[in-house]
Amino acid sequence: MGEVELSLAAVRDALVREEDSIVFALIERAGRPRNAPAYAPAGGGGGSGGRSLAEFFVREAEVLHAKAGHYQKPEDVPFFPQDLPPPVFPTKGYPKVLHSFASSVSVNDAIWKMYFNELLPLFTADGDDGNYAETVALDFACLKALSRRIHIGKYVAEVKFKDAPQDYSPLIRAKDTNALMNLLTFKAVEEKVKKRVEKKARIFGQNVTSEDSADKQEGNADDSECKVNPEVLSKLYDLWVMPLTKDVEVEYLLRRLD
Amino acid sequence: MAVAMILSYRYLLICSATLALLLQLCSGLSLDTVREFLTREEDTVVFGLIERAKYPRNTPAYDPGYLAGGHGHNASFAEMFVRESEAVHAKAGRYQSLQEIPFFPFRVPFTLAPPYNFTTELYSAAAFVNVNDAIWSTYFNQLLPLLAKNSDDGNYAATVASDLVCLQALSRRINYGRYVAEVKFIGDQQNYTTLIRNKDTDALMKLLTSEAQEDVVKRRVQKKAMVFGQNVTLDGPVETGNSNSSQTSFKVDPSLVYELYDKWVIPLTKQVEVEYLLHRLD
Repeated sequence: MGEVELSLAAVRDALVREEDSIVFALIERAGRPRNAPAYAPAGGGGGSGGRSLAEFFVREAEVLHAKAGHYQKPEDVPFFPQDLPPPVFPTKGYPKVLHSFASSVSVNDAIWKMYFNELLPLFTADGDDGNYAETVALDFACLKALSRRIHIGKYVAEVKFKDAPQDYSPLIRAKDTNALMNLLTFKAVEEKVKKRVEKKARIFGQNVTSEDSADKQEGNADDSECKVNPEVLSKLYDLWVMPLTKDVEVEYLLRRLD
Repeated sequence: MAVAMILSYRYLLICSATLALLLQLCSGLSLDTVREFLTREEDTVVFGLIERAKYPRNTPAYDPGYLAGGHGHNASFAEMFVRESEAVHAKAGRYQSLQEIPFFPFRVPFTLAPPYNFTTELYSAAAFVNVNDAIWSTYFNQLLPLLAKNSDDGNYAATVASDLVCLQALSRRINYGRYVAEVKFIGDQQNYTTLIRNKDTDALMKLLTSEAQEDVVKRRVQKKAMVFGQNVTLDGPVETGNSNSSQTSFKVDPSLVYELYDKWVIPLTKQVEVEYLLHRLD
């Protein structure tokens, strides 16, 4: 995906495409058991300073991503932004369509907590296969996909603002977060998103066999065969992804007139 | 004398069959578990390709000349990113279990991973066998041009990160041929041993190959590309799997995925199997 263009259709397309990435990432992570030792704070030795393997891995991976020029766009936000090195390689410029402070809006702390404390237990089976490095790499993929989807909220907010500045400006000036949240929320759209992402989990998570079955396209397989329970996706979006996206939208808007 | 020979021959047969059974019970490795693993790996490969296809070719990321100015590097952005990523993975404990083999081996004095008692089902003298070089060059030179649209969006880091995911999936799948070979060897030790001693690669390849099975795999992975790569909407999928669907209906061309398995994944896996077997009696 190139730069997110600024129209509601383009932004919605970007969000829809991110759903696939999120479902794929969760399916891949669900292929491994919980592997709890990967998340336990490490003992003193080895220089990890009491951090879990997951945190060590994400920090190191983000350093590499930063050197590779990854955190240039407002939707790409690191989980550990402090002391990240600048890009070592030349980076391509991109058209700035958002307010300049956009990059500093981040809800990654909330995403991190949600992912490890709430989500992981819901879709991974108990057990330990010892493959901790592969596991945390898969976690990182999930975190990146979730973070990206949620921070695309910055574009959503900009589009909505541009569409009706007269509605948003007074609320922004009054710092009326509740009213802003109401103005941003479209229940009908949210219901559709939840249903669609649930459907994707059903279709992408099924066991595809080479025997022909028209059902496979529609994903009419029994949910218990799915690699990730479709209800988990629905719950993920309902309780966390959409609310956090709206938090990003509100945070962005509150500074939009600065 | 003849009776003694018959008895000792029977004894040998019983011994080696028992040993084979014991080994399989201990390792949990069987033709079924091996097939299960490979089947699950297909999903990973297809997801990986779909995610890579999100980005265009982004050729500068693969051009060693792109980084040359002032840094004295001969490596492309992609190579550097993969090397450094694998170093991070290695520090986190990847590659310990021998199931995965890195493209750029990196020695770590210790890892930060919590300890775990890995058992290996592979014969240790043959466990190193891999075709990562062939996978690397096939992926970048043959597959990518067919997979990604020919343009440049500057997202080199995200692009190469998704290349790494594809490379790891393909490497894991193809080098799993070692486990396939081990299972086949145990299941038919006499025949394989003779061929290995004679270094008869052609006959080994023939013994390993089941065209019927390969056909099932290719058709299944093509179908997965159709199912996973479709545009899912609430009004029903955009295309209903009609074989006349144009390529743009799916995120990855299903016939490309068929070709990938037909021309590269399956042949390379068998190459690994043969090479592993040639070392199996070392």
